Amino acid sequence: MENLRVLIKSLALPLIAPVVAIAIAAVVGAILIVLLGRSPLEVYQTLLEGGLSGWPNLSVTLQMTTPLLFTGLSVAIAFRAGLWNIGAEGQMLIGALFAGVAGYALAGLPTIVHLPLCIALGFLGGLLWASIPALLRVYLGVNELVVCLMLNPIALLLTGYISTKALKAPGPTNKLPDVAQTAYLPSFSIYSQLNAGIILGIAICIFFLAFNATTVRGFIWKLIGLNPRFAHYGGIDVKTNALWIMLVSGGVAGLAGVEQVLGQYHAFYDNFSPGFGFDGIAVAMLANSNPLGVIAASFLFGTLNGGSAVLQMTTGLSKYFVQVLQFIVVLVLAARFVWHRKPGAIKRKAPATAQPQPVSQEV
Amino acid sequence: MSKVQTEAKSDPTNEILVLDGISKTFGELVAIENASLSIRKGEIHALVGENGAGKSTLMNVLYGIHARDSGEMRLRGQNVRFSGPSEAIRAGIGMVHQHFKLSPSFTVAENIILGSEPMKGAGRVDFAKAEAETRELSRRFDLELDPKAVVAKLPVGLRQRVEILKALYRSAEILILDEPTAVLTPNETRELFNTMRSLAASGCTIIFISHKLREVLAVSDRISVMRRGRIMRTFDNENVTAQDIANEMVGRSVLLRVDKSAAREIGQPVLEVNNLVAFGDRGEKAVDDLSLAVRAGEIVGIAGVQGNGQDELVECIAGIRTPGAGSIEINGVAASADPRSAREAGLAYIPVDRGGLGLSLQSPLWENLSVGHLSEVSKGPFLSARRAQERASKLIQAYDVRGGGMFAEAGSLSGGNQQKIQIARELSREATLIVAEQPSQGVDIGAIESIHKVLVTMRNAGKAVLVVSADLDEIMALSDRIVVMYRGRVVGDLASGDTSYEEIGRYMGGLHEDAYRDPATPISRPGLQPPHAIDG
Repeated sequence: MENLRVLIKSLALPLIAPVVAIAIAAVVGAILIVLLGRSPLEVYQTLLEGGLSGWPNLSVTLQMTTPLLFTGLSVAIAFRAGLWNIGAEGQMLIGALFAGVAGYALAGLPTIVHLPLCIALGFLGGLLWASIPALLRVYLGVNELVVCLMLNPIALLLTGYISTKALKAPGPTNKLPDVAQTAYLPSFSIYSQLNAGIILGIAICIFFLAFNATTVRGFIWKLIGLNPRFAHYGGIDVKTNALWIMLVSGGVAGLAGVEQVLGQYHAFYDNFSPGFGFDGIAVAMLANSNPLGVIAASFLFGTLNGGSAVLQMTTGLSKYFVQVLQFIVVLVLAARFVWHRKPGAIKRKAPATAQPQPVSQEV
Repeated sequence: MSKVQTEAKSDPTNEILVLDGISKTFGELVAIENASLSIRKGEIHALVGENGAGKSTLMNVLYGIHARDSGEMRLRGQNVRFSGPSEAIRAGIGMVHQHFKLSPSFTVAENIILGSEPMKGAGRVDFAKAEAETRELSRRFDLELDPKAVVAKLPVGLRQRVEILKALYRSAEILILDEPTAVLTPNETRELFNTMRSLAASGCTIIFISHKLREVLAVSDRISVMRRGRIMRTFDNENVTAQDIANEMVGRSVLLRVDKSAAREIGQPVLEVNNLVAFGDRGEKAVDDLSLAVRAGEIVGIAGVQGNGQDELVECIAGIRTPGAGSIEINGVAASADPRSAREAGLAYIPVDRGGLGLSLQSPLWENLSVGHLSEVSKGPFLSARRAQERASKLIQAYDVRGGGMFAEAGSLSGGNQQKIQIARELSREATLIVAEQPSQGVDIGAIESIHKVLVTMRNAGKAVLVVSADLDEIMALSDRIVVMYRGRVVGDLASGDTSYEEIGRYMGGLHEDAYRDPATPISRPGLQPPHAIDG
């Protein structure tokens, strides 16, 4: 009985915040639509139909979902442990670069070796890029948020230099040479570039769901996120763990680049990302750092992105309207973050004699 | 005190403030239930109760921080409802919080006027006037203070004085003092009491929140006891004893003394601290060449005013703070490099900062109880939730933790039950040294008893126990030996049998510093009092 109540509570409570955030975004979006002289109902209907109805539309949505699974999970792994990895964008670019180079440079290997090797190297690329903020944070106490943020444009310019100059493929396009077919992620659909990357993405989310719930390491990482001083007090090596968390987070972001290069474009193109790394932050926030939530939030954002093209075609409303909706979601969730943190911060300073405080309401 | 005022105070009709049937709930938690209280003009009215009894909540309702759910509040016969502290202040109510709300880098005068600044012309603060008014105020109420002194450099007692003046500057007629003595030395406490008496004599009404019964009896005219959100009873000071009040607070007879036999066999030193130097968070020397030993089978109590290096000493022992110099050995092993090796050497540490250090408040109890015991509750790389929960449920039962099962979040428990969780976790491993930091702070009297009992049991089982407490009663009741810290040094090492409150008080105030130190060593005296943090 007690167990059941706890279970229901633990399943229902985390849903409140994201649902409320989405609802608020929908209402604010509706107001904007009305101001633009359209009918909100119609626009939302177009958006959802454009994203979900029929296999052609759905396959585009799933294609849009795929990179977010990786970047969202990457940010979520760090968030859950109280670390701000907002460098997923840069880690993804370096991961893509590694996969892209290995994809053509190691041509001739059989698929069974070439593909896993390229995936592993992509993971390694993201991991290495994340090791910069991680090491600076753990050993010199430099704020990882700032370093991550600064490394994003550096990654973009570095990969830009390599793909437009150093290793550029012959021809007018700024890209690396094409990836050998032995490194392709199998494709599923003629309507979109949907590929086996989505299976990898879902699998890795489920892996981390199990990792979080069942392993000692997963327990420790959560504890570090909730109260690092307590973890340290309890004999846990917080520094080394934090380092690993950042590295794993970076590696997973690198896989987003792998999927783009090996699954969608079959070559590393300069400046290919419309900001999947940043969308990953929104996904992780909406998911409340839960891997299952990452799948759901990625699909939601994928649907909106998929539907936005249809929206633009049929109603003439800019597809950037969808981004406005996404930003509102993030804004509402960020407000909740502050709401959440503030009483906590005060409580920590307050004496143990503090009277019972009202439970902060989640909005 | 004039005769007129004495009569006014004992005149039941001379009520300045009446709380009638106030209730306040937070979600499911009933914080105050039908509480009624009458305050007479010019009296010092103590509000006592265990932690969590609702004292502060009631005062926060009065001060407009919380809105009451039901009940009436009459100020000078008028029905009032404040929607915020500013309205309460305008109505003549002032509150001095336990954690001062001062700006440390501002001067006394600047702090006093902050929020209601005297202006000259458009948007310019009249600092000269501020200083003059501060000076006038401190003269009128006989509260000596230099208006130009920077608050960060003032000792705690004087900072509190700034808070009081700040309230008086806003023409407070009713002054609420929330646990004002918690951070004061016995001497500063005496001065505060003098101030309170003279303020009361000049017509100011004082509500004094405390749980230290001796102090309450020393200064109050009347004493109201709160228990579980209700006002149980209001006593006149003349015909009441500390025992009466204590019984009313917990609702049953309590043992005010710890039932403990003399230490039996004192064995080898378990903890040896030699010439330890440690620096505080702001880089100040917090522990200064301190040496200390705790032997198996004894309880050593560290007394001292908060902020004299006790926290830093304990953190060094626990491996959380890196010492600047000196050595710490647990069972002969230099083990305080990090918390893990300190634990492995035999340390059990019960920190005072439960929410920040000793617990994860958002985690369920079973997870909190598993930390530090992960190898017991895991199978290879996997955590066995079943094993951890079984273990937790046994501990919860053994230590009589109330307020929720093992799935309850630690933060939802009362202070006493949180403390029991910490103790259960720390003592459920083979420890030979137990360091308990303010073990009864924020813990209700019922739980204090059982916590003290556990510590004595541990001593009798041959463990070395180090208790750090700002509460002299606790130190006196528990310790076999009392070590007094002052400015990062040990200034007194006394057998608990042949010392007194007064003697320890003198050591705590630093009055014996010279006597204890080797006369050959010159004493450096920084001009300032020990560093204290300004909270809030």
